[in-house]
Amino acid sequence: MNCLEFERILPEVLEGGHTTERQAHLNSCPACSNLLADLKDISLQAKTLADSAEPSPMVWNALEAQLRSEGLIRRPAAAAPARSPWFRRSKTVWLVPVVAALAIVVGIKLYHPAGAGEKQQAVKHIVVAPGQTVRPVSSDDQQFLNTMATRRPARQARYRADMDDANAFIHDAEQALKSNPGDVYAQQMLINAYEQKQMLYDLAVDRSSLQ
Amino acid sequence: MTGAKRLQGDKLTEAEAIERAKQGDGEAFEFLYHLHKRRVYSLCLRMTGNTATAEDLAQEAFLQLFRKIATFRGESAFSTWLHRMSVNVVLMQLRKKGLPVVPIEETTEGEEEGSVKKEPGAPDERLAGSLDRLQLQRAVDELPPGYRTIFVLHDVEGFEHNEIAEMVGCSIGNSKSQLHKARLKLRELLRTNRAEKAGRR
Repeated sequence: MNCLEFERILPEVLEGGHTTERQAHLNSCPACSNLLADLKDISLQAKTLADSAEPSPMVWNALEAQLRSEGLIRRPAAAAPARSPWFRRSKTVWLVPVVAALAIVVGIKLYHPAGAGEKQQAVKHIVVAPGQTVRPVSSDDQQFLNTMATRRPARQARYRADMDDANAFIHDAEQALKSNPGDVYAQQMLINAYEQKQMLYDLAVDRSSLQ
Repeated sequence: MTGAKRLQGDKLTEAEAIERAKQGDGEAFEFLYHLHKRRVYSLCLRMTGNTATAEDLAQEAFLQLFRKIATFRGESAFSTWLHRMSVNVVLMQLRKKGLPVVPIEETTEGEEEGSVKKEPGAPDERLAGSLDRLQLQRAVDELPPGYRTIFVLHDVEGFEHNEIAEMVGCSIGNSKSQLHKARLKLRELLRTNRAEKAGRR
């Protein structure tokens, strides 16, 4: 069996169709062996994308409004309470860490040009998966949780989970930027993650009308 | 609302939430939404590659589901029902935009897109260490829409080829062959992205 013949039956091999002849070719051909292993890895890693993204909290907000307008939700909403000074401040304060994070990675790049040891520390895998708990480290996160402490336990847990998800995405993007400060895609992911967190904070106040 | 009627967070089951949602309980709708939002939104995002569109489609999928929740009798799992509905919403959107939901069949023998290109003497390294979630996500976003649909439905969402064939309107054989080409294309994209990344260092 040569490589062309192997490529033709590759989909069958990926579904577990191994024979002695095919195995013999894999043992003797690193290129086909690597190809098979890569395709298996891609297929395996793809499963991690199934719930990898978090919609903006505004999606539920809009959906709920629509459900109410159509009469599917029949319980009336109470009036929303006034926002605390901290939440008003948080409207803009989240731009600060975004700018700071980008400034830091650009600074690292300037002071540690390519080849100066940074390569050895390049992050190969994203270590924090969505849904994995990331403990709050910032004082704003703690203040948010303190504010949420007055809510029902179920709602507290949900906001906590959403905040951890947002932090996990921020962590992912920051790791990618440490590895490659010029990665425009990762920069956009970082900004999206901070925007998502901002919306979570805003919505936490707006949604308090349903407590 | 009495204490007994209040939802008990994690203690509430999906079946109970469905029954309460049928009675118009807003918190039950919210519970169901939060239970499935990541899966539905991720599906929409991976298939469209656009966050704003994905959010609109996720909202539309949930809306369609909640409008029909009174008819849900539990013949199939709620999540299966929701995911099938989400796929249909996305496919309808792709068709409206004139985007292919299944790739156009290649006819040129030996010149299939994504087929293995071997350069004599060139190192044929494995992706292994460089394959992480963010990079794969980016490569999936770069796939042509038709390939992306088949790959997401099969490898990400776990639909079988017969289900995909029915949903997108192609043969089972076509679904299988296009999935293989999509995987090959992804490998090519990942290798190219890795090479570009190495070149910048």
